[in-house]
Amino acid sequence: MQILTQLIFSGIALGMIYAVIAFGYQLTFATSDTLNFGQGNALMLGAMVGLTLVNMGLNYWLMIPLVCLFGAFQGTVVERIAVRPAIKIKSEFGWIMSTIALGIIFTNVAENVWGRDDLKFPSPLPESPLHFLGANVLPMEILVVVGALLMMLAVELFNRRSIYGKAVVATFNDRDAAKLMGINTGLVITFSYALSSMTAAFAGVLIAPLTLTGASMGAVLGLKAFAVAIIGGLTSGMGIVVGGIILGIAETTTGFYLSTGYKDVPGLVLLLIVLAIRPSGLFGKAAIKKV
Amino acid sequence: MQFRFKLLALTSALALSVAAFAADPIKIGVDGPFTGGSSSMGVSMRDGVRLAAEEINKSGGVLGRQIQLVERDDEAKNERGVQIAQEFVNKEKVVAAVGYINTGVALASQRFFQEAKIPVLNNVATGSVITHQFDKEPENYVFRNAAHDSIQAPMIVEEAITRRGYKKVAILADSTNYGQLGREDLERALKNKGITAVAVEKFNIKDVDMTAQLLKSKEAGAEAVLTYGIGPELAQIANGMTKLGWKVPIIGSWTLAMANFIDNAGPGGDGARMPQTFIQEPTTPKRKAFIEAFVGKFKPKNNRMDSPVSAAQGYDSIYLLAAAIKQAGSTDGPKIKAALEDLQAPVEGVVTTYNKPFTKTDHDAITANIPVFGEVKAGRVVFASADDQKSAGTVRMKDVAANDALLKK
Repeated sequence: MQILTQLIFSGIALGMIYAVIAFGYQLTFATSDTLNFGQGNALMLGAMVGLTLVNMGLNYWLMIPLVCLFGAFQGTVVERIAVRPAIKIKSEFGWIMSTIALGIIFTNVAENVWGRDDLKFPSPLPESPLHFLGANVLPMEILVVVGALLMMLAVELFNRRSIYGKAVVATFNDRDAAKLMGINTGLVITFSYALSSMTAAFAGVLIAPLTLTGASMGAVLGLKAFAVAIIGGLTSGMGIVVGGIILGIAETTTGFYLSTGYKDVPGLVLLLIVLAIRPSGLFGKAAIKKV
Repeated sequence: MQFRFKLLALTSALALSVAAFAADPIKIGVDGPFTGGSSSMGVSMRDGVRLAAEEINKSGGVLGRQIQLVERDDEAKNERGVQIAQEFVNKEKVVAAVGYINTGVALASQRFFQEAKIPVLNNVATGSVITHQFDKEPENYVFRNAAHDSIQAPMIVEEAITRRGYKKVAILADSTNYGQLGREDLERALKNKGITAVAVEKFNIKDVDMTAQLLKSKEAGAEAVLTYGIGPELAQIANGMTKLGWKVPIIGSWTLAMANFIDNAGPGGDGARMPQTFIQEPTTPKRKAFIEAFVGKFKPKNNRMDSPVSAAQGYDSIYLLAAAIKQAGSTDGPKIKAALEDLQAPVEGVVTTYNKPFTKTDHDAITANIPVFGEVKAGRVVFASADDQKSAGTVRMKDVAANDALLKK
C-alpha cells in the first residue's frame, strides 16, 4: 500500500509537469485551431531565463513575473512569425512546420547563449522530503501541483469572467462570427499565443528545480505533454489535468509493476486507444467538421 | 590583360599549393559529443586533445609537419557519428581519428575507418566490444586508451561485494548501448562471485522521474546501487534517492565523475564511487604540468576539470598517435597501425607511461591494475582509498595479467 501511495504521488507530480505544459497547447488550439509545437522550447527558454535571473541574485518568487513577461513576449514572436502568415493564407498545416522550425531555432540559440550542459536550478524550497500517508513527497513537487492548478484556475477565471476572456471564448466558438461582432480576432489569437508561451515559461521555472535545466529539456517533456493534450482532449482544461495525471501514474506504476523498460509504453498505447475511440480526447468536445 | 592576370593568378595559386604541400599539416579527426548530456566528457576530451596537439606543434610537430585537428560534434547520436566518419575518410582525408565518447556512436562509425585502413583511437568510449568489433578481419584498425567495461564492471563488483561486503545489489542502467552493454558486464561479473542482482532496472535518457526503479530496488532489499549511465540521469537517481529518503551507496562506472552528475546531484551525490584512470591531483610532475596547462588554458569552473579522465585520455591519445606516426615515418594508415602495435619507445602520458601499449592482438592500452577508485566529495572527485592516495605518485603500468587476476578473483 505504501508503495502504491508513493507511486501515485510521484505519478501525480510527474503528470502535473506534463499537464502544465499541455495546458499551453490547449490555449492556442482553442482560439486558432493551431498548436505551438515549440511549446517544449518555450518551457526551456523560460527555465533558462529564470535560471539566469536567479543566478544574478534575484529571488525565486520575484523572478517568476519577469519570466512570465518574457514568455508572453516570446509567444507573441512565435505567433507573428510562424502562425499568422499561415492563418492568413489559410494554409491548413503551414503552422506545423513553422512552429517546429522556430522551436529548433530557439534550442540552437539557447545552446549558444547558455551552453549545452544540464544545469541545476536552485530549489526555492527545502530539498528534504516530507512524509505524507507513508510516502515521501518533495516540497517542490507539491509546489508544482499547486502552482499548476492555480495557474490553470487563473486562466479559466480570466476567460469566464473578464470581457477580454469572453472575447477569447467567442473566438474559440466561432471565429468568423466573433469577427463580425467586432472582436479583433487577430489580436485574440496573438494574445492566446502570448498566454500559452507564458504558461510554458511559468511551467519551466516551476518544474526546473525537479528536472534539470538544459537546452534540450523541452524535447521529451513537450512530446509527453502533447500526448497528454490528445488524451485529455485539446478543448478541455479539466481533461488536460486528468490526462496528465493518468499518464504520470501509468508511467510510474508500469515501471514498478511491469518493467522499467516498458514504462513509456502504456501512455502511448492509451494515446492510440483514445485516438481510435474518442479522437477528441477523453474530455474533449466532439466537433463535426464540414468538408 | 585579362589573360595575363589569369595566368598570374594561376601560377601564384600553383606556387602556393606547392608551398602548402611541403608543410602539409597532418590532419587528425576529433569526434565527440560537444553538446548534450555527454558533453562534459566530449568537451574535456577535445580540450585535452587540443592541448596535446598545441604542445606537439610548438615543439616542431611530427615529421616536420604540424598537426591539424578536424573537430566534429556527433551530439552523441549514432547517425551523426556515421556522417562524420564518412566525412573524415572521404572529404577531410584524415590520417587518423581520435575520440568517441559514446559506445554506440563508436560501434556505428568505426567501420568506415576500418574499411579505409585508417587507425582510430578511442580515448573515452568504454564498451568492451569496441576494440573487438573487427576481430574476424585480418587487420584491426581500432585502438583504445580507456578503461573498458570488462575491467570496470568487475572492479565495481569487487568494490561492492568483496571490499564493502554487500550481498544484495541493484543494477540501474540506461537504455543506450553504453548502459545495456555495461549491465551485461556487471551481471557477468556478479555471476563470477555467485551473486545475482536483486533488481535490474532501466531508464531512458532525459527521464525526470526514477521513483519506479528506485522503489523496486529498495523493495528488493538492495544494499547498494550499481549504475551504468551518464551524468544527468545519474543525478536524477541520486535526487530520487534523496526524495525517497533511501540512502545506500552508489557505486558505478566512471561516468559518476562527470561534472553534470556532481553538480546536479549536490549533497545526494557525495560518496558515489567509480573507477578512474585519472584524478585531478598533481601526483607526478607530468600530471602537475598537464593540470596546470589545462586549467590555465581552458579555465574550467572552480578550477575543476569537467571530466578529468576524458581530458587526460584525450591528451594521451594524441601523444600515442604522434609517437606512432614518428616511428612509422609516414602518415600511411597501415604503417601507423603497424607502429602502434609495436611502439618501440615508451610514451610518457598523464594516465600512465605507455610501454608497448598495444600488440597485434591486444588493442587496449589500459589494464585492470591502472584505474583506481575515485569518490565524490564536496563537489570534486578524490581518491577513495588512502592507500591509492599514498601510492598515487608511482605510475601504474600496463599489466595484462591483472585483467585475468581480476576475473578470477
